[in-house]
Formats: sequence, C-alpha cells, structure tokens
Amino acid sequence: MLKIENLHATVDGKEILKGLDLEVPAGEVHAVMGPNGSGKSTLAYVLAGRPGYAVTAGRISFQGHDLLALAPEERARAGVFLGFQYPVEIPGVNNVYLLKAAINAARKQRGEPEVDAFEFLTLVREKMRLMRMDESMLSRGVNEGFSGGEKKRNEILQMLVLEPRLAVLDETDSGLDIDALKIVAHGVNTLRAPERSLVLVTHYQRLLEHIVPDRVHVLVNGRIVRSGDRTLALELERRGYDWLISEAA
Amino acid sequence: MSPAVTEQIRKEYGAVHAALPASVIDPGRRDEAIEKLCAQGLPATREENWRYTNLRVLEHARFAPVETHGPAMPSLPQVPPGFVRYVFVDGLLRSGAPASGPDLTVRSLRSSGPSSSDAWLPCPDFPEARLALLNEAFATDALSIEVRANAAPAGIELIFVATAGAQAGASYPRVRVALEAGAELTVLERHVGAPEAASLVNSAVRVDVGENARLTHYRLQQCAARAAWFDTLTAQLSAHARYHLLAVGTGALTARSTAHVRLAGAGAELALSAAALADHQQSHDMYALSEHVAPNTRTIETFRGIASGRARVAFNGKIVVRERACGTDSRQSLRGLLDGPQAEIDVRPQLEIYTDEVRCSHGATAGKLDENMLFYLLSRGIAPQTAHHLLKWAFLEDVVAKIERTELRRQIERDLAEQMSGAAALMELL
Repeated sequence: MLKIENLHATVDGKEILKGLDLEVPAGEVHAVMGPNGSGKSTLAYVLAGRPGYAVTAGRISFQGHDLLALAPEERARAGVFLGFQYPVEIPGVNNVYLLKAAINAARKQRGEPEVDAFEFLTLVREKMRLMRMDESMLSRGVNEGFSGGEKKRNEILQMLVLEPRLAVLDETDSGLDIDALKIVAHGVNTLRAPERSLVLVTHYQRLLEHIVPDRVHVLVNGRIVRSGDRTLALELERRGYDWLISEAA
Repeated sequence: MSPAVTEQIRKEYGAVHAALPASVIDPGRRDEAIEKLCAQGLPATREENWRYTNLRVLEHARFAPVETHGPAMPSLPQVPPGFVRYVFVDGLLRSGAPASGPDLTVRSLRSSGPSSSDAWLPCPDFPEARLALLNEAFATDALSIEVRANAAPAGIELIFVATAGAQAGASYPRVRVALEAGAELTVLERHVGAPEAASLVNSAVRVDVGENARLTHYRLQQCAARAAWFDTLTAQLSAHARYHLLAVGTGALTARSTAHVRLAGAGAELALSAAALADHQQSHDMYALSEHVAPNTRTIETFRGIASGRARVAFNGKIVVRERACGTDSRQSLRGLLDGPQAEIDVRPQLEIYTDEVRCSHGATAGKLDENMLFYLLSRGIAPQTAHHLLKWAFLEDVVAKIERTELRRQIERDLAEQMSGAAALMELL
C-alpha cells in the first residue's frame, strides 16, 4: 500500500526527515511514535503534500504509484486522507458542502457520477451517529466554534464518509478526554479493512489501547530507529524515549 | 479637482436649469446647491477621505442629466417575494405605481410634486456630502417613501438602471425614506446598468427612522463594468430606532459610497454591513461616518472586501461619539482580502470620542487567503481554484449571512458566485 524509502524532507530550509524508511502493507494499522520534534507531523504533511514541506530525496510509492508526483488534491482523490492534528476552522464554508464536495471530487476521479443527495445524507447521518455528533453541526461552518474534541471527531467523520485507502491520523488523540477518545477509536476501528491501511501518528500509547496496531515504529531525529509489535509501545510507555534517543545518537 | 470642472458644472447647470423639474427640487435650492458646490469644489484625492477614490472620471464628465437613453436594457432579476418594485431608468421613474394607502405613501416627486408635509431636508453640511449637492442641483426625479406610525412591515424594491453612456450625461437617482414611530420597512435598492454603458451615476439617499421604527435597507451596486457610481446616503435615527444598512458592491469601474448616519435619539442602533468584490481595474471605496449624538446608542459595523487583479478596495469607517453620547457601544470589524500581487486593500477604522463611559472596539486586517484553510480544502480533494473561490466566498459570508430574507440572500449569493470568474464549481455547492 505505502512504501517510503530514504525520505529526506526540509521545512524552511531545515532538514527534518533524514532518510526515513517505512512500509505499510494493505490491511494493516501502523503507529508512528516519537518524541516532540522528531518529525512525526512532518511525515504526515509530506504524505498529504503540504506546500512548504520539500522532499529533497527519497521515494514514496502508494499503491504502486509515485505519490510525490501528485498534487495534494490528487492524493486525496486517489484515497489518501490526512486527519489533522489541528483541524482549521473555516467559517462560511458549510460542513455539509465540504463533505459533499470532497466525496464528489473522489467520485469524479473514479469516473463515477455525483453522489445522490438522499444517499449522501443517509450516509452522513449514519456516520454522525457513530461519532455521536449532533446533526446541527452539518449546517455550521467547518469546525467553526467546535471544541478540540469535536474537531477531532469531525476529522474522523470526514474519514468515515470518504473511506480512504490510506488514512494518516496526526495526533488524533491529543486533546481528547477518555470518552471522546473511545468514540474516535471506535470510529477508526470500524474503518479497518483488508484493502485499507492506517498510519497513526502519536506521542502516547494511550490511543493504541483502543486501536491496536499491527506494527509500531519509533521516529527519532527524522529516522525510524526501531520497529516492533504493539509491545514496543508499552515499552516506550514504561521507559520513555530517552534510551532510544541516546541509542540513535 | 480643478476649478475648470466646477466651471464646467456651472456652465452645464446654466444651460439646463430652466428645464429641471421644480416639483422635484425647488429652483432656489438647486441654485444654492450649485453655489455651495462651486464654493467648496468637488472632492479631490488629496483629501484624506477621498484619497482612495478614483475621481478622474469626473474630470471629463458631462454633468447635465441624461436626455437620450441608451439602446439596451439589462434583464432584471425576479421580484423577490414580498416586495413591490419601482424601476428607474437613467434617473426617471419608468414603472411602479404610486402608493397612497393608510400605512404607506410612495410617490415620484416629478409627477406628484412635493406636499406641504414634505420634509426632504437639504443636503447635510458635511464635507464628504458634496456630491449630494451635485445630485440636488441636477436631479430629474425623486422617490419619496413614507411609512406611517406603527405600519405593518412592508417591502419596496428600487431598481436604478443606467443605460446611457457618460457622453449622454449623468443620472441622479434620488430617494427619501421616512419611517414614522414604530413603523417597519425593508428597502431593497439595486443599481444596475446596460452591459456596455459607461454611465455616470450620482445618487443621493436620505433616510429618517422614527422612534422605535425599524428599517432594513439592502443596497446592491451591480452597475455595468465601465460605469462610474457615486453615492451619498444620509440617515437620521430617532430614539430606539433600528437601522440595518447592508451594502454589497460588485459592479462599476469606479464606485464610491459615502454614508453619514446620525444616531440622534437615545438607544438608536445602526448595523452597517458592507461587502465589496472587485477585480481587474475596479476601484471600490466606501466612507461611512457613524455619529453618536445621543446616549446609549450603538453601531455594529462589518466590512469584508476582496480585491483581485489590479483592483483596489477601500473602506474608511469613522465613529464619532459626541459629548452627550455616553453609554455608546460601537464595534467595528473591517477585513480586506488581497487576492493577487497587484491588488490593493485599504481598511481604516477611525474613532473620535468626546465623552467617557463608552465602549468602542475595532479590528482591521488586510491579508491574503489563509494557507492553512486552503491546504485543508485541498487535502479533502477540492480543486485549487474551487478552494480559492470557496474561501473568498466564505470571507464575504460574514456580511451576506446577515441578509435575513432567504430568497434574497440566495439571489445575492448567486450573483456573487457569478461575479467570481470561473466559479461554476462553487455554484454547484450552493
């Protein structure tokens, strides 16, 4: 599904990713953990194609295609979804417009007709119930006046409606209380499927109690320094990151 | 503005004044207006409150009223539900029957003449109102709308169509809206033009809102691409009057709107919301003076302007709080969006406070589209151009969303979407 080889990326001229390798097969959930400033969010943004995040070397292949050759909107239409750490508020752009525009953009790409209005609303309502979101939120501006937790739930709602091939969730657990975390995790778990891959970028292993990963990778100073199964996350919880940082140095 | 222009105005006035209808404006008042205007001179860009206005068009203008209409009429939008329509062509009433019910009187002064109760005040004496003097001297018709005390809510639509080119003369729309105590009225005022006409329009609007009366006033400036539109609005609000003035400007090559609202009665409220969308070489400039004279009065001012191409958008919002106006509450939120390296935005809040115990807040920004918002939309598969339009759209929504009548809001939203070139994808979303 996703294969990253020797990825180097700079932000404002400063190298953040320094030869990152990562492979996520279809159907698997991988967690990328690491201390602050290790490059986790940079990796997420590079995958989504954010301007200002320059790839200076390396390759990213997504379903056998060169992901780096695609513009951000093309990546989204091809099935890459980024769940933002800090979802932006866009007052004046209605949530329902955005969902509909997003879903139709992907359908158009696949040569499918636009979504039927009734079918669309039925789908959105079903997913909203799953995320325990109030329907009134649909007619509000994107994330406008949402609490931190509501914003994160809205990210997952969008993901559930768009059904991406690859979802990269950047610190989706940050700022969530335990109830919200469970709702978000439940939403993510419903999307686990053999044809889909998930990358969870997180600082803490708390999220991984609810979304059990197939693999855990530790990112330190722009490189994956260790990979393992879910017990690695537990070890990190116990020992912190310092020992890996010293090892990497 | 050079003395040669005022001389030109005087000369043209001399040639036509005998033919100007006395029922619209008394000849003596016309003479006075000309004298005053020539003494003061036309506005010039060296003056602070005119520096962003494109006044060049006045240098070679023909000021006498249009006598020959242009060949084409633009198609007019549907009458929104609940409104009675009056159409003016080049300043003259073309359609719309006079009304004289127990609640409401609407009449053209050209055909009916002023009544003894007519209280159309002379131009207010503030320097920014000089172009209203020009209107007072040359106006060929005027519409008077009077709503009796405690009248049931009504809706009036005024459409001013400019069909003639500037070489054929200027047009002078002129309206007075007066609400007695407790009355309620919605006025929808549209300025449109024949697509090819480089018309010169100079309108004057006088508004009086009585005690506890409520006026909602929508003003849409959708003049033709080569037109020049100047406008002076003066309003006086009595105690606890509420005036919602909402202006959306998209048309004309040059547009300048001057508003002076006097909150003269205690507890009066003004909500001034304005949006401007300018592209290519358009220049849109609005000067709004909100003068708090009485205690516990309130102004809420919202401006959103977008300049694309080489366009220039300016908004100068001045709040004056006089000595007696303690307890004034004013809020200004003025924002401009620069959509292109050659566009220009000038937003300027001004406060002049002569008393204590007031609450005046203001915020003014001018900036580009938010990169974070743009990337968020792209990351959801939205095409860059659509994302761009969507964000411009959202920016104007702060003003457009304040239009309470749904049908009308929809119509304006469609107009705005059409105005944004290549916004077909946006239309699908509405």
